[in-house]
Amino acid sequence: MVKTANKEEVSIEAFFDKPWITIVWDDPVNLMSYVTFVFIKIFGFSSEKANELMMKVHTEGRAVVSSGSREEMERDVQQLHEHGLWATLQRDDQL
Amino acid sequence: MSQFARIGNSYSLALSQNEAEILINLAEQLLELLGEGDFFHHFDNSDPLAQLLSMPKEIETPEDPVLKRLLPNAYSDPEAASDFRRYTEPQLRGAKQRTLRVIREELTSIVDAQSDGGTIFNLDSELWLKALNDLRLALGVRLEVNNDSFETFELLPDEDSQKPMYAVYFWLGWLQGQLLGLLTAN
Repeated sequence: MVKTANKEEVSIEAFFDKPWITIVWDDPVNLMSYVTFVFIKIFGFSSEKANELMMKVHTEGRAVVSSGSREEMERDVQQLHEHGLWATLQRDDQL
Repeated sequence: MSQFARIGNSYSLALSQNEAEILINLAEQLLELLGEGDFFHHFDNSDPLAQLLSMPKEIETPEDPVLKRLLPNAYSDPEAASDFRRYTEPQLRGAKQRTLRVIREELTSIVDAQSDGGTIFNLDSELWLKALNDLRLALGVRLEVNNDSFETFELLPDEDSQKPMYAVYFWLGWLQGQLLGLLTAN
């Protein structure tokens, strides 16, 4: 069992662990339907949300697809790379 | 004649002999490329601990544009990218190699049967999806594909040496789209 963290610990954790984001970049090869499929598979998004993010990648050149701790984002990026999507992670404030 | 089919949750792919050969050829070329500069080549044999942990000391960003696309940098910062690559690239490379070896083996069964063509039954649909995507990425990088590439392809004279590569690239896209359609249909 994990003890419930007190309020102070939670806010510190939120400050240090949350400001990382995963970005998916547009590329001319991946099929739009494939990108949507991968978003649903990896992140469990609804097809509406997955489709919306895919369109954002397509029209704006990139989209933030997840945020969280650095470790979580590294796992997301790894999975996206395994599926052939072009993804990077960075601190939230760099965008 | 290439055709994916789905019965319940069972997927199959029918291919002509010629189509199976094209796919084997592409898979082998990509396997060869992925085998180059893999982490065993980066081994520092004098470091027993690194050997024990199978951990290369450093892995550089691949120079080949296809490898750079298939094994991309995870960070824009070179140092962070290099560190991430050191821990994850062998695994990513290995996963892509295993996927390609599976489809190569399944395709070989069609070619070995020496008939006009054949069908791969009970295939792993998501594995095939990834494999087709990696093959398309590799071809797409070599052809420097962009959003106008279908027009470029149509305007190319038949004798142009890139025409067959374009044809295979668009065929793979059509094939992948077919499989995606089956996977997302309920």
